[in-house]
Amino acid sequence: MTVMADTIPLAEAHSLVARARAGDSGALEHLYRAYEGSVYTLARRLTRTPEDAEDVLQETFLEICRSLSRWRGEGSLWGWVRQIAASKALMRYRREKLRATEVLDDDPAERAGDDVPLRLDLEAALRRLPERTRTVVWLHDVEGMTHEEIAELMGMTTSFSKSQLARAHQKLRGWLGEEGADR
Amino acid sequence: MNGTRHGTTEELLALRDGEGGAWVKAHVGSCGACAAELYRLEQVRARLRALPTFFPPRDRWAVVAERARVERRSGRWSRAVGLAAAASLAGLLLVAVRGTRPDPLQARVQLRSAMARSEAMEQVLRGLDPDGRALDGAAAGVVADLQGRLEALDAKLGDPAEWRAAPHRQTEMWNERAGLLSALVDVHTTRVAYVGL
Repeated sequence: MTVMADTIPLAEAHSLVARARAGDSGALEHLYRAYEGSVYTLARRLTRTPEDAEDVLQETFLEICRSLSRWRGEGSLWGWVRQIAASKALMRYRREKLRATEVLDDDPAERAGDDVPLRLDLEAALRRLPERTRTVVWLHDVEGMTHEEIAELMGMTTSFSKSQLARAHQKLRGWLGEEGADR
Repeated sequence: MNGTRHGTTEELLALRDGEGGAWVKAHVGSCGACAAELYRLEQVRARLRALPTFFPPRDRWAVVAERARVERRSGRWSRAVGLAAAASLAGLLLVAVRGTRPDPLQARVQLRSAMARSEAMEQVLRGLDPDGRALDGAAAGVVADLQGRLEALDAKLGDPAEWRAAPHRQTEMWNERAGLLSALVDVHTTRVAYVGL
């Protein structure tokens, strides 16, 4: 089950980060072990392949090593780690430039199947969403990020984030075979 | 139905997230179709949150640690971290220098403290019932490694020849033991948090 709660209490997080800043590799490994599953899961949901997700996992923790002094301890440590992981996943997506002008209706795979009756399971339906749309769904519905936070992270407006979420749910409804008869 | 239209998906999602406007709140109260759609949106979110957690197929820690070490040596880490590390190193050197003239009372206090930490972590670990939990391959590998190191350490602690000539070594080993137990606790508590065991 996907549970993205912070696995390290805040007081312990302060102590761990302080030790890690001081060069304690044991503390860094502790952070890695605590968050590797959550970061990898997030990366799997936001990227296209398991290999991409592994790279995001690695890049995320390297960035954490470089940026420990920037965590002020004001919010949860997982919130900070998650921000870095999502940013790394999005950077990978942008770098590849596979769908630079992607919007939901412009995805070829999706368009090709629009008129085909479908009844996918949720995993398959989620995978079928374009990466940027899937990112909005995952960050909002699973990670609990606000549209404002997502907009800032992805460099778009909050209204775009909201509309992407709504259109994604409309698509999911169709793909899951849950079209409402009265709406 | 209240009003002349149904709520849009965006309006219903806002309502689901506790941000809906007055119109859609009132409308859903009197429109069965929109109430059903709101329930469906809540269910999809719940199902998304219930999707399985992934675990990396390979342990990347060694790669991360090595690259971090190289970057740190090349000065890529932030100055703040570097200064903190330097301060830590200075502290370690101070301890090392002071260690050349050990204070027997202080040494006994340090040893007792290390043993108490180890005992406390052992109790926490027992409370997690580690033998009764299923672990995935990656976590099981980490646990096996930590337990192997713990057994080797216990063997040394049980052999006074290992530390009699250098009593501070005994304290170091107890501290190391507490650290290994702490890591085992981390693995098991993380697993508990991830899979809800």
